[in-house]
Amino acid sequence: MHGEYKTPGGKLVIVDFEVIERHLQKVQVSGDFFLYPDEALDAITGALEGMSAELRETEIARVVSEAIPSGTEVLGTSPEAIAIAVQRAIRDAVEGPH
Amino acid sequence: MSAKAPIRHVVARHDGPGDDRWKQYEWKLLPPTPLDPTMQVALDETLTLAVGRRDRQPTLRFWGWTSRAVVLGRFQSVRNEVNVNVAAEEGIVLVRRISGGGAMFIEPEGAITYSIHAPEEMVRGMTFPESYAFFDSWVIDALQELGVNAWYAPLNDITSEGGKIGGAAQARRGGAVLHHTTMAYQMNTELMSRVLRIGKEKLSDKGVKSAEKRIGPLRQQTELERDVIIQHLTGHFRDRFGLANDELRDDEMNDAHVRVTERFGAEEWLYFLP
Repeated sequence: MHGEYKTPGGKLVIVDFEVIERHLQKVQVSGDFFLYPDEALDAITGALEGMSAELRETEIARVVSEAIPSGTEVLGTSPEAIAIAVQRAIRDAVEGPH
Repeated sequence: MSAKAPIRHVVARHDGPGDDRWKQYEWKLLPPTPLDPTMQVALDETLTLAVGRRDRQPTLRFWGWTSRAVVLGRFQSVRNEVNVNVAAEEGIVLVRRISGGGAMFIEPEGAITYSIHAPEEMVRGMTFPESYAFFDSWVIDALQELGVNAWYAPLNDITSEGGKIGGAAQARRGGAVLHHTTMAYQMNTELMSRVLRIGKEKLSDKGVKSAEKRIGPLRQQTELERDVIIQHLTGHFRDRFGLANDELRDDEMNDAHVRVTERFGAEEWLYFLP
């Protein structure tokens, strides 16, 4: 599954994953955003890996937000944007791409 | 309040509010040397670390190219951004750089890229977005001297009345900042649109339907040779902040070669996000 979300005036975030037994697996988060330090990406991806595919957008955003170490600079995207990309991926897998 | 306020004449053409931050250093210039794209991204790290260790003075470095390249941002996925078959057919080298941001399609004479390697203290007290604007403000001024009405568009774009000119990205390493910027000089839009995957979502807030329509390359806007523009940029920097000619040292080249072998030229690095 594949979902994208561009924050208006910001950057694109792309989430690719599979849903196996109703959970997100093989998650890859990518895009043209900025993260300092680099390793924060592992924390974001790790937060999504194994997550229930039935969480609501606000819940996904909260889990991602809590996983990002304090002091991390996230520029151009956000936990909310990542959550939208996840939801879009799941929706498109059910309904077909829009 | 005195009735006789002194009349101030602005004589210094360039002095801006942040100029003192630049002038505190003895800047070095590394002119464009054509190198393999993987060497260029390795040198970004080599020289940034060297500035952080105080083994090198703060440096303005122009990039040169021996081949076409797609330079991916640190967090971009290869398959989402690049048609790898087109890249292979057209002799386009894929490399991943150490900074975030978006993919650039480069042809040797088609872009002007520079890196600023500076101590992190230079941007102390600035937010990250402020530091982006700060590092390119002199370029905006230099472009305006060429008649290009350019400005900085947050977070990391240089744009103009004639369209987007370029973008910047930063990485921080060992007490130093790398700020690099690529500006379009001449676009091969046909090849760019085949090798890069630029989807609708990416352009969703741009009000345009294709990436090429929103770009205003410098050749089109200035009718100047690429080298002339680079000379103008370096001249502006030299007049304003001071800039001494320099060259890459053997130990720096060796360090970059090792980084190419161990990391930047390795599949694990390029396909870190497949």
